[in-house]
Amino acid sequence: MADQTVRQETFWRFSVLQRALHLIVILGFVGIGLTGFSMAFSSVAPARTFVWFLGGADSVRYLHRFFAVVMYLCVVTHVFWLFYYKFILGGDLFGPNSICFRKQDLLYFRDHIGYLLALRNAPPAFDRFTYWEKLDYWAIFIGMQSMSLTGLFLWFPEFFSRFLPGYFINIAQVLHFDEGVLAVLYIFCIHLTVGHWRPEVYPGDWTIFTGKTTKETMMKTHPGEWASLNPSPRGSAIGEK
Amino acid sequence: MKPRLQTSAVAVCTIALCIMTLSLAGFSRAEEQSSECLNCHRQRNMNANEGILSSRLFCFNCHQDPASHGDFRASKVSLQVKPEYFQKSPHKFVACVQCHTDVARSPHRSLSGVQCVTCHRQIYGRPGTHAEHFRVRCESCHTDSPFVTLDLTKNEVKLSHTNSKLVPISLAEHKTTDVTRQEFCTKCHTSNNLVGAPAMVLPSKSFVCVACHYSPLQMGNPLFLVAIGIALIGIVGILNFWFKARVQDEASSVHRKFQLGSEVVWSKIFSKEIFSVVKTIFFDILLQRRILANGVSRWFIHSLIFYSFFARFALSFFTLLLQKLSPEGELTLTLVNKDSSFVAMFNDLTGVFILAGVIWAMVRRYITKPDYVATQDQDTIALVIIGLVTFSGFILEGIRIVIAQIPQQIALSAFGGYLLSRLFSVVNLGWQTIYGYMWYIHALLWAMFIAYLPFGKLKHIFTTPLSLLLNYKRE
Repeated sequence: MADQTVRQETFWRFSVLQRALHLIVILGFVGIGLTGFSMAFSSVAPARTFVWFLGGADSVRYLHRFFAVVMYLCVVTHVFWLFYYKFILGGDLFGPNSICFRKQDLLYFRDHIGYLLALRNAPPAFDRFTYWEKLDYWAIFIGMQSMSLTGLFLWFPEFFSRFLPGYFINIAQVLHFDEGVLAVLYIFCIHLTVGHWRPEVYPGDWTIFTGKTTKETMMKTHPGEWASLNPSPRGSAIGEK
Repeated sequence: MKPRLQTSAVAVCTIALCIMTLSLAGFSRAEEQSSECLNCHRQRNMNANEGILSSRLFCFNCHQDPASHGDFRASKVSLQVKPEYFQKSPHKFVACVQCHTDVARSPHRSLSGVQCVTCHRQIYGRPGTHAEHFRVRCESCHTDSPFVTLDLTKNEVKLSHTNSKLVPISLAEHKTTDVTRQEFCTKCHTSNNLVGAPAMVLPSKSFVCVACHYSPLQMGNPLFLVAIGIALIGIVGILNFWFKARVQDEASSVHRKFQLGSEVVWSKIFSKEIFSVVKTIFFDILLQRRILANGVSRWFIHSLIFYSFFARFALSFFTLLLQKLSPEGELTLTLVNKDSSFVAMFNDLTGVFILAGVIWAMVRRYITKPDYVATQDQDTIALVIIGLVTFSGFILEGIRIVIAQIPQQIALSAFGGYLLSRLFSVVNLGWQTIYGYMWYIHALLWAMFIAYLPFGKLKHIFTTPLSLLLNYKRE
């Protein structure tokens, strides 16, 4: 029965696995960004100092690849989680609780823009994940694939130039750097703003760290999910308490 | 200016100054270039194939000539190098002076020999094959010439400039060895070889050896695969048993049990309770307070074994990490070499400690038998395995010192192994052959340790810290 009281107060949004993965990705991302840019901007004094501090270019290269492997293992874990969610927990990949995009998101997007332009009175009843949260997730998820592909080209150039023309390595170098810049800008400008610096949650949305959210937040930001959890036609849970 | 603003402005400036100073410190290491020919002659741009080919042409000026020769022990050895030798070589686009770094000078003679490590520096101390052959120069194995020699003055194995009949031979062909062929190893690893190699071609260490030795992250011999397989079965059994228990009123769903259990762990880590957990880790797990409370001699016995294993694991893991991060660092090259005085001394000291702990424990269990010591079969198995692993390790080291003819001043650091080596050198039982069998016995014993880990008493290595962590409040 103790569980029941907890459920009325807080709502679990992220499992320990998801929270841990987020923490690891934070550390991995900072590490990969610092080592990557200190190699890319090797002519700049602070970068040189940083490289010297870490023990030289070999060391930085090794750490960069180490962080890359850690980050990609997180991606693999997510894919495994997807299968687990679908086949063992019997979840619906395109249901309202899923991170995957579905047709409904387009309608939510239209309605949300309408609300922001004051054409509608209320924001749409978002489900477990809003469309911008989904975009945040999938941008990184897909970005990781191209990043790791170009990264592999640079890690094993001899292997890839056995069956690809040599200029693919040069292209990979350009793309890897450009996407690195893009990823860092995305995380620090868009992800942090949308995820953590919005007025509603400023200075940070702790849900991804604690895993839980309050009833008020649920009702306000995820009304669709809230409604699905409380299918009471007679009134809200506030009245019962 | 407000005082607070002023303070922060000063702080920002100080930090900026610190960063700038550090940045400048990172700069500038003096260019080192002292090869004498290149003091006046223009150095080619070695970053481009044109520079490399032109630099090579300079050497070929003389060395292409069939009359090019060197005088070696009063006989002539051809030093003619044909360009076609490099046609299929991996060093097709490498200039001569990039490997023979000290030849561009007068008198035209190399003192240091070929320098593979300037380019292949990651390889140098890598475990698995290279670190084990630390005193063997690269070209001894990687050049296709059947003659190698042991230079006892430098304690290194190198390519011989003479054949087995001491007739000088030419090595000008620059032919690299096909490392997939068996002859690659059996050049040295045969019975009665003169370079101090064991007669058997032994497999590489496995990653499970990292508990005591610097070893590669690979499976190694299938023996270890079997051992790890058995251990995994045991671990699955233990986990299965654990997850049969209830977790906060949840009896059936394993998913829910995981969820609840991990939630508890998470909430402990990110709360003030983490300090109590750290305290438990420090006092109960690292300092073993509870064993000390049970008796000082118990604590001593356990510590002799536990700290030695722990220190060995820490050192070998640290070496592994260091080799990846700084493969040519001075510290790395000291730590990957098991003959370096620190590593040898460290390994022998910890080995002696483990043996002392095991013997002390055995004396208590089987001879003095105090009332409070209850001995079960699993205690005996654990002690015997640990004791034999360590003892066989010392025997191996002793044999290695004998057959490799490691000079006394180097071997003395490994005092235990050195003592045994003096003993072994009295009689020649064919130690080169025995070494291989002994190696397999040592490996088999460790494989048994791994396989037995989840079944008997040894599982306390993992379960006791875990239960201490889970029960830290019930003090």
